[in-house]
Formats: sequence, C-alpha cells, structure tokens
Amino acid sequence: MTDELDLLKRDWQKKEVNLPKLSYSDIHKMIWKKSSSIVKWILIISILEFTLPHLLYLLPSMQDGMEVYKKLGISNYLLIVSIITYSAAIYFIVQFYKRFREISVPDNSKSLMNKIIRTRRTVKHYVIFSLSMIMLTVIVMVIGVFFSHDIADAFPDLRQGLQNISEEKLRFTLMASIGGFGVVLTLFMGCVYFLLYGLLLRKLNKNYRELRQLEI
Amino acid sequence: MNKELEHNFVTELQDNQNIVHKVCTLYTNDKESHNDLFQEITIQLWKAYPKFRGESKFSTWMYRVALNTAITLYRKSKRRIDTQDYESIIFKIKADEYDETEEQQLKLMYKAVRQLGDIDKALVFMYLEDKNYTEIAETLGITEVNARVKMNRIKTKLKTILNP
Repeated sequence: MTDELDLLKRDWQKKEVNLPKLSYSDIHKMIWKKSSSIVKWILIISILEFTLPHLLYLLPSMQDGMEVYKKLGISNYLLIVSIITYSAAIYFIVQFYKRFREISVPDNSKSLMNKIIRTRRTVKHYVIFSLSMIMLTVIVMVIGVFFSHDIADAFPDLRQGLQNISEEKLRFTLMASIGGFGVVLTLFMGCVYFLLYGLLLRKLNKNYRELRQLEI
Repeated sequence: MNKELEHNFVTELQDNQNIVHKVCTLYTNDKESHNDLFQEITIQLWKAYPKFRGESKFSTWMYRVALNTAITLYRKSKRRIDTQDYESIIFKIKADEYDETEEQQLKLMYKAVRQLGDIDKALVFMYLEDKNYTEIAETLGITEVNARVKMNRIKTKLKTILNP
C-alpha cells in the first residue's frame, strides 16, 4: 500500500497544474460574502434559545396571568422563580459569550471541536435549566390551585360557563390541565432543542469522537 | 490600514490558493460544492487573518484553517456520490504521461480516498502534501504516535476498499 500511496503522492503533486486559478478580484469579492459556518449557526440559534423563553412573558395573555397568580396566592413564589431565572440567564449568557470568544479557527482541530462542543454545552445547560424552571412554575401553580379557597374567583372567565360544575371537579380539572400543559410544553421544547442540537453538530461530533478514540 | 490588510491578504491567498483548491477537491464532489467550500474557507481565513502574526508560515496557517473549515465548520454535507464530469476536470489524466495500468490504479486510489471519513482524509491530504508526522499531529491536535497509528490504519482501510 505504501507504494501505491507514494504513487498517488507523486501524481497528486503533478496535478497542481490542473487546479482552478482564481483572480485577485474573484478572491476579493469572496471575503465580503456571508459565512454559513457552524459557528455562525450556533450563535444565531443560541441567541434565539436565550431570548425565546423571555419573549413569552411579553405576550398579553401571559401578563393577564399575573392577576390569576395573585388570586391564587402564589405570586410571591413566582416572583422568586423569576428572579432566579433571570440571574441564571445572565450567568449563562456571560459564560456563553466567554466560551464563544475562545473559538478560534487556526487552533488545532481537536481543540477547536472541543471548544465548539463546550460552547454548545453551556447553552444545553441553560435549556435544561429553563425547562426545569417551567416545570417548577407549573408545579407551583398546580399546588396553588390545590390550596386555593375560591378557584372560580381566580379564573373569572370560567365562572359563567362552569356554574354547574362542582368546586372539587373544577379544581381537579384545572390541576390536570395545567399539569398536562406543562408537561407537553416542556417535552415539546426539549424535543426541538435536541433535534436542533443533533442536526447542527452531527458531523462535528462524529469527527471529534474519531480523534478522541485515538487516545484510548 | 484596512485596505492594506485586505490587499496583503488577497495577494497571499491568491499565491497560495492551490492549498485551498486541493482541500476542496478532496472534500467535495462537484464544482458547485467546491466553490462553496472554497468561499467558506476564504471567509474563515479572512476573519482569522488580523490575528495571524506570522509565527508560522502563511501556508502552514492556511492548512489549519482550511482543514478545520472542511472537517469542523462546513455545514453543507449534501454531497453527490458520483460525479464523473468533475473528476475528469480536476484529475485530468494525460494519456501520454501514464501507462494504462498505472492510470487505472490511480483512478481507483482517488476513488478510495474519497470514500474515507473526514479525519482520515485530512491525514491522507497532509501525507500527500508531504507533511511530516509532527506537523500532521500538531494540525489535528493528536500525538505523533497516534498520527502514525492512524495513518497505518488508513493504509489498511484503503487496501480493503481496493481489494474487497
């Protein structure tokens, strides 16, 4: 095989004459084109993942929700959850920015891949944290409904339509639907995240594994 | 200052563009992808250029950025498997220079190399470029011993592809 590879090497070096030749202006034009590299996509998707959960709070229906929380007597708990969420978000964003700055293309391949994976891992931890916080909020709400004295008062919209339903039945229906909604939302966001993560880094992960396997 | 940087960069890249073309030749199978990868490598080189201090040769630095772009950063992986037209352009084999068996052998070798994984291709590429194991190891971030081990495995792999 060595002979054949050496034959290939000789041929390879002769092939230079057949390679395309780009002019100065061809190359000059290229340097202003937009990159479509994985690093750029990671930045875009990560920023989306950082901002999307917070944009949800800006929706009018979510703001109406605050009234409900007050009536359920859980607004203080949710305020604490919010403070924790935002402090953690800031921490994760700072970490992400630091890691992202470390990514350097002229690094050796293994270290470059490692840095990209670490940067992405920071976002992964943030997503897991966000999803846990969503679940925690849902649990606090379910508990709030359970201990609330007058549920019909907390959900005025429901009062008219559900007059003939017993208080207990309404309580459990609400707990089940809030809980169910929380689980579905968490699973859905989790799936979207892991799908994006998998697709984006599939090739890179494979190559990184291959380089690391050499060490064993 | 920026204009000067731009001019220096384009001139140096123009002089060394063969390196990038050769990486593109190994990692893509048609002209469109070749140009696409060439462009991405150029963008990555340009973005990293202000930090290039000349500790190493421009061409050495280029090998790293070009290979890293191909095996790590490049996203479009929808590659067509068989594109005869493209191969005949890039690997134009002049009939008068080679005897027929050698020509056939080379064609099979090129085909086999193209079937290798990204990392294996990077090693073969540097081998074909006459780089020593120290440089191969430094570029990929592995030890020299591991680079040798890997190269031996690739040789076995190529043998299996050629003689199934």
